[in-house]
Amino acid sequence: MKKFVLALAAAASLACLAPAQAQTVTYTVDPTHTFVTWEALHFGTSTNRGRFDKKEGKVEIDRTAKTGKVDITIDMASISTGVAPFDGHLKSKDFFDVANHPTARFQASGLSFDGTNVAAVKGTLTLLGKTQPVELKASRFNCYDNPMLKREVCGGDFETTIQRSLFGSTYGLPGIPDNVRLLVQVEAVKQ
Amino acid sequence: MKMSSMLPLLFSGLVFTGTAQAQAQALQYTLDPAHSWVHFEVLHFNTSTIRGRIGPIKGSVLLDPAAGRGDVRLVVPTATVSTGIAFFDTRLRQDDLLASAAYPEAYFVATRFTFKEGSVATLRGEFTWRGVSQPLQLTALRYACRRDDRADDKTGAPEEVCGGDFEGDVLRSEHGASFGLPLVANRVRLLVQVEGRRALAR
Repeated sequence: MKKFVLALAAAASLACLAPAQAQTVTYTVDPTHTFVTWEALHFGTSTNRGRFDKKEGKVEIDRTAKTGKVDITIDMASISTGVAPFDGHLKSKDFFDVANHPTARFQASGLSFDGTNVAAVKGTLTLLGKTQPVELKASRFNCYDNPMLKREVCGGDFETTIQRSLFGSTYGLPGIPDNVRLLVQVEAVKQ
Repeated sequence: MKMSSMLPLLFSGLVFTGTAQAQAQALQYTLDPAHSWVHFEVLHFNTSTIRGRIGPIKGSVLLDPAAGRGDVRLVVPTATVSTGIAFFDTRLRQDDLLASAAYPEAYFVATRFTFKEGSVATLRGEFTWRGVSQPLQLTALRYACRRDDRADDKTGAPEEVCGGDFEGDVLRSEHGASFGLPLVANRVRLLVQVEGRRALAR
């Protein structure tokens, strides 16, 4: 737990370099509580799941003006399904081609609010070098005072479904489905 | 329940296998380790969902859809827990949470099945974790069987693959794992992916 707090404190001190702005509050993504998990149906039978373990990003929110910005970069080589040969295949040219496209990036400035809570985030996802519009919908959102960090943390659960073919990923269609559900856990620490 | 006291149950599963074959209709499936996992979800500070996976799960699966019967004995190796954060995994294995040293395996033993149009719908049984047994129901979110002609097993025979997604809720305090309550929620949602295979006649 000590290491966890140290990692967050380091992230926090780095982000202090960002200039202060009037209403906008800047949050640095907590990598220990921020994950993209994907779900894809396997031969119509069961759901394959995987996640990306390395990511970084910044979130700006103005809960009064109801505006904000999100910029999160995912290290595609950090994919993890628990099955090493499957990870290897996913990193190959057949799927994510991580040698040529090592990162994916979600950038958004279209935040919508339900009261003071973020309800949806409209932006773009760049994957395999192609950029497509994506809207993440919040299934929950909350801000709380973290007793260990002694800082405000905001976060939630978001989800969307992408069509991988729109990003040029067509291997195995239609046996391996086009639709991939993304479940995004995010928590970010106030700077 | 410790491993030593669990062994008779596993052996009784094997005995059931023998009996089932005599009764002709029960089919035995071998779990596919690439597609048999427990994923869990726990709410963190009422804000976001922590996810992790444990597996692959092992065990024996016998199904007799015509008779509406089944027998499932799953072994869950808790030390394999993976959340993507190494020090979080280490913390989870400690005595006040997964207790992986004292109880390396959790078990789900279920013999009360319901079927809907030949598909497994629910299975009820007992979940033993940290040596504490509690009733648990898993409900199918989807279930399907298919024929696999790739014949990539040792015999080269085509196989039937049956499996699905199942969900169930565990209250961790009922198993004595109360560290971090209530900031990390008591309810643990289990999402079980499982696929089993059996050889078909060529």
